[in-house]
Amino acid sequence: MNDNYHVFSDGRIERHDDTVRVITDDGEKKYLPVENAEAIFLHGQIEYNTRFVSFLNQEGVAVHVFGWHDHYAGSIMPKRGQTSGQTLVDQVRAYDDPAHRLELAQAFVDGSIHNMRANVTYYDGRGYDFDDVLAELTEARSSLDRMETVDETMGVEARARKAYYSTFDEILPDEFVFGGRQYDPPNNEVNSLISFGNSLVYANVVSAIRATALDPTVSFLHEPGERRYSLALDIADLFKPLLADRVIFRLVNRGQLTSDDFEDEMNSCLLNEHGRKTYSKAYEETLDETIEHPELGKKVSYQYLLRVEAYKLKKHLLTGEEYVPFQRWW
Amino acid sequence: MTESSTDPVDRFLAAARDETEELPFRLTGVMFQYYVVCERELWFLSRDVEIDRDTPAIVRGSDVDDSAYADKRRDVRVDGIIAIDVLDSGAILEVKPSSSMTEPARLQLLFYLWYLDRVTGVEKTGVLAHPTEKRRETVELTPETSAEVESAIRGIRDVVSADSPPPAAEKPVCDSCAYHDFCWSC
Repeated sequence: MNDNYHVFSDGRIERHDDTVRVITDDGEKKYLPVENAEAIFLHGQIEYNTRFVSFLNQEGVAVHVFGWHDHYAGSIMPKRGQTSGQTLVDQVRAYDDPAHRLELAQAFVDGSIHNMRANVTYYDGRGYDFDDVLAELTEARSSLDRMETVDETMGVEARARKAYYSTFDEILPDEFVFGGRQYDPPNNEVNSLISFGNSLVYANVVSAIRATALDPTVSFLHEPGERRYSLALDIADLFKPLLADRVIFRLVNRGQLTSDDFEDEMNSCLLNEHGRKTYSKAYEETLDETIEHPELGKKVSYQYLLRVEAYKLKKHLLTGEEYVPFQRWW
Repeated sequence: MTESSTDPVDRFLAAARDETEELPFRLTGVMFQYYVVCERELWFLSRDVEIDRDTPAIVRGSDVDDSAYADKRRDVRVDGIIAIDVLDSGAILEVKPSSSMTEPARLQLLFYLWYLDRVTGVEKTGVLAHPTEKRRETVELTPETSAEVESAIRGIRDVVSADSPPPAAEKPVCDSCAYHDFCWSC
């Protein structure tokens, strides 16, 4: 259930009987059984027609398109299955109430720091000494309730993330020099991996939000964006350490990704096709990992946690019941 | 305050009898079922909170409802409020996929009988049928069952007019409910 398919080659994607077929430029045919799919991710140059779009609409499958520099370019979403005027009204009211917006912004940052901390704690117990970073993350977290504006809250998030990223140079092998976050375009291998991973998390959150009647453009921590699904940015921050960053550590430290998986262009460093395939495969395996959910009383996949997070936010907005952000509990 | 000083049942009936009057609150047959099964679900329904409609229990319920007694029933809509199935015999039919839903379905059927009697002045008998178990049961409007309907109307109005739903409470039906993950995603 809820499989994602990634297409890296250039070519054509089409409906073929009751399934989807990819014909690559070198003539290879691949079939994607979409009946249980959540989304198709297109990374290459792909042609498609309206028959393909209608079919995916009928199957309820989204298409996420990635363009130059692995940038998220947009989505073709199934016709809305979920609409609720009441949900949108409640969502906008919460945004428009400064105290309520601040409370939600702080919740997102609180959860994000907790989840960054979980990764640092793991490595702290494995031969690294990250006491300073852990102390800084703890301090950042406890400073949150003193913040009086969303901007200040955003500042706490930025400081915490900087401290968190400072551990990457130690965790990753010497030949992968990070030196801090750079994007637009990423300037080295680590930055290119972070950008790619984050864009996959973001696209998955877009799909998860679509399963509720929440409006993806009305956000609380990030400013509501004209061109971005900014609510997806709010929620994606919570999950980047769990979904995107752990894959980086694992693949690089085990030597499954090497400098051969990147190509340098002018002032930028990007994953090549083999590198993207390797990362996406490991990322999808991570989404499929499951965990016993104490409140739901069943095992759920990491991917389903994204859906649950959208439910939680919607429930909070609609009922006033407290929103507690996702915090890794295992 | 002035609004609640009038009994919701009287207000509902007065509006239902007068075509020019707007109903004071929305009341549908399925709300009576939800009222018995789960007041929290009733609140979600009243706010049009839609969750995954592909849940197996819901698909199954619709299938049984559509196929049972297909040749002997007629769909009748009254005042845009109730949608009932009338059998050849003139009785009002309510079909349920399983006997675990008997009590909720009985209350819904009683509401239809009550509405027909009080608003349109037509006396009818009801038939509650479980086609999968080949069982049917007669349901009639009496002073006692009328009081049951009226008490449910007051209760439903209280639930749907609240700003927030009753808190989630674990019940046997939770496992098959479409809102399960919504309620328990803490």
